[in-house]
Amino acid sequence: MTLVPLPVALPLLVAALLLVFERPLEGQAVDAIAAATTAVCVLLAVRAAPQPLVYWFGGWQPHHGVAIGIAFTVDLAGASVAALSALLFTASFVFAWKYFDEVGARFHVLMLIFLAGISGFCLTGDLFNLFVFFELMSVAAFALTGYRLEASALEGALNFTVMNSLGSFLMLGGTALLYGRTGALNFAQIGRALAHGPDDALVAMAFVLLFSALFIKAAVVPFHFWLEDAHAVAPSPVCAIFSGIMVPLALFGAARLYWTMFAPMASVAAAAGNFLEPLGLATCLLGGIACLMQRHLKRLLAFSTIAHIGVMLAALALVSGPGLSAMLLYLCGQGLIKAALFLGAGILLAQCQGIDEIQLRGRGGGLPATGLLFAVGGLLLAGLPLGPMDSGWRLLETAAERGHHGLLPYGLAVGSALTGAAVLRATGRIFLGWGPDPGEEQQAPSAREQEKADRPVLLMLIPIAVLLVLAVLAGGDFADTIAARAAAAMADRPAYARLVLDGAGWAAAPAAVPEAGPLLAWMMVAGAAAVAGFELFRGHLPGVFVHAVDRLLTPLALAVERLHNGVIGDYAAWMLFGLTLFGGAFLFR
Amino acid sequence: MTLFPYLVALWLFLIGLYGIVTSRNYIHLIGCLSVVQSSTYLLLLAIGYRAGAGAPIFYTHPPGTPAVDPVVQALVLTDIVVGASVTALLLTLAIQVERHRGTLDPQALRPLRN
Repeated sequence: MTLVPLPVALPLLVAALLLVFERPLEGQAVDAIAAATTAVCVLLAVRAAPQPLVYWFGGWQPHHGVAIGIAFTVDLAGASVAALSALLFTASFVFAWKYFDEVGARFHVLMLIFLAGISGFCLTGDLFNLFVFFELMSVAAFALTGYRLEASALEGALNFTVMNSLGSFLMLGGTALLYGRTGALNFAQIGRALAHGPDDALVAMAFVLLFSALFIKAAVVPFHFWLEDAHAVAPSPVCAIFSGIMVPLALFGAARLYWTMFAPMASVAAAAGNFLEPLGLATCLLGGIACLMQRHLKRLLAFSTIAHIGVMLAALALVSGPGLSAMLLYLCGQGLIKAALFLGAGILLAQCQGIDEIQLRGRGGGLPATGLLFAVGGLLLAGLPLGPMDSGWRLLETAAERGHHGLLPYGLAVGSALTGAAVLRATGRIFLGWGPDPGEEQQAPSAREQEKADRPVLLMLIPIAVLLVLAVLAGGDFADTIAARAAAAMADRPAYARLVLDGAGWAAAPAAVPEAGPLLAWMMVAGAAAVAGFELFRGHLPGVFVHAVDRLLTPLALAVERLHNGVIGDYAAWMLFGLTLFGGAFLFR
Repeated sequence: MTLFPYLVALWLFLIGLYGIVTSRNYIHLIGCLSVVQSSTYLLLLAIGYRAGAGAPIFYTHPPGTPAVDPVVQALVLTDIVVGASVTALLLTLAIQVERHRGTLDPQALRPLRN
């Protein structure tokens, strides 16, 4: 039981010590802290597997179903996601060895605070506590994006900070409304009070505010604009954390809020089906299309994250046990792959001093191992039937069928395959020198970018390889069983409330859900390979065909580019538009 | 219970957001962000307010005396602290932007595009 606060306390404590003693603790010691946090989270996950752990800070137990203190409720899902994030931090610390020499311990301090925020967000059982950890990780992330204080990094960091601050205000507003209605901040207590109260406009407003806040963080269309600006300028090890865990984590938070509090509300479930489902599809398609259009590698990966967020949102919006379990599996797979790819982009930045796909054409030839890792990552993103991401896909197919959204996975597959195609295209171009010679006028329009060179390549490759090996091997029946268990525990609201508020026991029996076959996965891989091949070898294809495709796609490309114009005012306006649309989903149902 | 503070909170939210949408100067924009944030303070305080009740300090009067809700006040305090640090960070970034680019106009300061 006493292990429960450690994933938050350990990084925070070490961060404070690092600030005081700057030098002696640096380097491997910090890696060890991240690794220790991972180990603690894994241990917690094992302990929480039979029954979630409830830890009341200061021993303030609830009385007669009224929570006075603040609780951490560690369930299998929360502890596993916390373990995943700590693992990604460990990988990124190893990768960043000697990266941040000039800033002293500050990078490590910010990263550890970031980790503490993420762990707390996964484990907490209290709405305001959730907000505080949300803020903690946001502020650390803002500082990590802009800390280089270079011209280009600053604007991305400003956009990121302004949009996400707006998000946290929305979240606080939603928290306030729920507190006003229920007089509680504990998830379980709020959930119980809501279930016995009316399903009215106030509940709808609180739901819209809370979920919009999380959607800003999760970069769901049309709240997503900050993401590419921040990812394009943040250092690669930070990007790996952003895309790998911070962004998807917001959807995990959304799942937590839905299943502990809003699940009994018919209006909310209806809005999820009518609005969030299409929103997930739109996010996935827009992310996929925009991803394929990018030549800045980090921006490309950033848009691929948006596409995958769309898939996860769609899975969440199915509001069913299998859907939730699909989302959890997908979150793990996506996190491992995306973090590995961003670290791979970091190798290119360090070794080839560039991030522009066209400019780097053929220049990755001397980095065969990196190229191989990129290819594996691209294939996995495209849907290669291996690992947790694929298990997530197949479960999603089953869940969609059961929820009478049988066509949904096919739409999502298009967006997802496009992201795989984009990564495969970049791999072919950079590492194999495929594709047409760009010529002079095609040179990079963006500023020269590079990251600190003269670091050992092997030390950068190892964490990437480890993440990808996990992304390939950590699937199968074992992962499915864990995910089904985690989802069953997370989605059982009455049992959760009894456990937290009344200290009652727990008897969860997850039902095994058959997965769909790998047909769609292979279709996605084939589609991705075809699109990547088209982009790389267009010079060898019949001119009429290429011309026709261009005629069709150029207006779309222009529209997407115009949309992502980098002006913060427009982003805020889109946010208001999204908020209105979301509210409207409750009015017209 | 009156609707007035809620309407003011909504107004502050919208007018602050309007400022952000139309802003041509980052310092102004950061100010507008603070206006949006103050709407959340007002919302929280309005929810915890009890007409005719005193401050939630039971030093002179006995427990059980009607008082406004101290929980929301604690939340507002936390929020103010967070808001102050975010504003400070944003202003630092704005100063650096001014130093590097010589302007604070968001329209002129688009992050580099493809």
